[in-house]
Amino acid sequence: MHSIEIGTAVSSAPGLAKGFLKTGELPDGRPVQTPVMIMRGAQTGPVLWLHACVHGNEYCGTFTLHELVHGLRPETLKGTVIALPALNVTAFEKNQRMSPFEGYAGGDLNRCFPGVADGSFTQQIAYAVYQQLRRHADFFIDLHTAMTQDVRWALFPNLPNQVGRTADGIARAFGFSSTLPAPPDILAGAAAMTAAKDGIPSFLAEVGGKAANFTPEAVSDAAERLRNVMRHLGMLEGTMTDYGPLTYFSNFAWVHATKGGLFQRSVRCGDRVEAGQPIGQYFDLFGAPAGEAHSPKPGVVLAIHAGPIIATGETLIHVGLDPQQA
Amino acid sequence: MRDFEVGSAHSHGPGVTTGMLQVGYLPDGYPMEIPVIIVQGAQDGPVLWMHGCVHGNEYCGAYSIHQLVRTLDPAELKGAVVALPVLNITAFQRQQRMSPFEGYNGGDLNRHFPGNPAGTLTDQLAWHVWQPFKKYADFHVDMHTAMTPDTRWALFAPAEGPVGVKAEAMARAFGYENILPSPLSILGGSSLIEGAKAGIPGLIVEAGGLGPAFSMETVADVAQRLRNVLRVLEMLPGAVEQHGAVTFFSNFAWVTATRGGLFKRAVQCGQRIAKGQIVARFYDVFGELVEETPSPEDGVVLATGAGPLMPPGEIVVHIGLNPRAA
Repeated sequence: MHSIEIGTAVSSAPGLAKGFLKTGELPDGRPVQTPVMIMRGAQTGPVLWLHACVHGNEYCGTFTLHELVHGLRPETLKGTVIALPALNVTAFEKNQRMSPFEGYAGGDLNRCFPGVADGSFTQQIAYAVYQQLRRHADFFIDLHTAMTQDVRWALFPNLPNQVGRTADGIARAFGFSSTLPAPPDILAGAAAMTAAKDGIPSFLAEVGGKAANFTPEAVSDAAERLRNVMRHLGMLEGTMTDYGPLTYFSNFAWVHATKGGLFQRSVRCGDRVEAGQPIGQYFDLFGAPAGEAHSPKPGVVLAIHAGPIIATGETLIHVGLDPQQA
Repeated sequence: MRDFEVGSAHSHGPGVTTGMLQVGYLPDGYPMEIPVIIVQGAQDGPVLWMHGCVHGNEYCGAYSIHQLVRTLDPAELKGAVVALPVLNITAFQRQQRMSPFEGYNGGDLNRHFPGNPAGTLTDQLAWHVWQPFKKYADFHVDMHTAMTPDTRWALFAPAEGPVGVKAEAMARAFGYENILPSPLSILGGSSLIEGAKAGIPGLIVEAGGLGPAFSMETVADVAQRLRNVLRVLEMLPGAVEQHGAVTFFSNFAWVTATRGGLFKRAVQCGQRIAKGQIVARFYDVFGELVEETPSPEDGVVLATGAGPLMPPGEIVVHIGLNPRAA
């Protein structure tokens, strides 16, 4: 069995290997180290790479990867699962989306792939991670959360080739009804888009809500859906669950708030909305109604701001466009 | 009919008046101002002072005060409600407990009353609030949240004589089952304790959790309970609703984390626990269990950490001691 080495995580036999991948250095000179788990099956098979907390406070993904990896048995696993559960670890520690050490370029790690070896703090993280991802991954899944507890949607880079078709199969096995076959020209710099263009079928799931918003049920459900993906990929035995038909979108509308204040949403993720339909209510500091927020487009609510306060420029709503059964 | 002047909110007769109270300056020289709502009733009566967001990210209190104020009809109100839904405005904006401009002494506003006009930023904020508070308040409700959505408890100051008697009546009318008659020796510098020492009976309500971790059902329930407090103070007509037996505590134990890591609580708010019972579990970044935290005392869980991450020094669990039917 050949050795897989990712930082200090070295796997050369069936079972779980753990270690850390260095992705940079802190201002005091100590290393930034992101945790790596390699679960090796007893039988040969493909390598599935998963990571979470590209955005540091999207902890639902961390717990989902922990539950998935600890539930796997080497004797029934074909191939290898590589899981990095807390990718943007300095942001993870600070309970924020982006690294507190990033001063440039916005620091959205999911716009920095494939990274730059001598770029900004976040570009260097992306570089260190992507070198390993491209070398080892046959398939790639990226876990995110959006804002609220009821978030359940997914996307895959819809390349017009076998990579896109394989990703479509992963999306169906994961089985979230709201799924975006992402046009190849959006989300440039996302790990999923970058990996797909390098020939690695990729998938991104948005589950459960930011920080403490998620439930143990969402974690367990997402872990089971990941097992279903692994059954589909031939990495696990067992009967596949059919989650039913999916709703595909042509694209999404990502709407930023142009008004600040106290905010209370009035729609849930998965709801159908019309253009101009109220989606939430603003209040001023005195509790007086201060205007409604409206959906700019018809479609399905993929994500919406959690409130209770919102500043201009924050993501107000994310709408899946042109829903059609697929 | 009375005259109230709280910042720019000037009320000279029945009705709802709003304005802003300056509580300091921002670093760019702009005034730091907080919202004031005065609801003056058509008939004479006492003044109930309410405030929220002493800790900036405890939004459930601001929403509850707004909800209550929207339901008050000056025609049926005796006396006046003076409501400051957002005391620590810069912390409120930043979604954090303490002001981002406070560099000294921790900045916990609820330990800084009656304040100091030449002290730290938070001292000065407390002082500016304390002046109209001391001038006008006959009774006082301070709205807080703990960490998780299931938080429901209250405290009052059992001062000698009518101040303690009135405060207990307010606590019973609010009617949460778990109540701490807070020894005057603890929580010095809170508006509750300093108010009681100044002859103002008061109540702290702990309802809902931090940030967006509260529901609109909790807000509506709290607003109803606050109306019942107004009834027991004879400020609103109608029979005082009886909420049933309550549990009093002798004090609380505040258990802080002595290690960091991924955190899952093992108990819920309101639950009876025994000394030695596991109240929380810590995991490392690979998802391995690294510590189980036993309860140091018998009692009732008043609050717990929400997780999913915890550094040392954060609150694991808050335990009400020596519960007794009262």
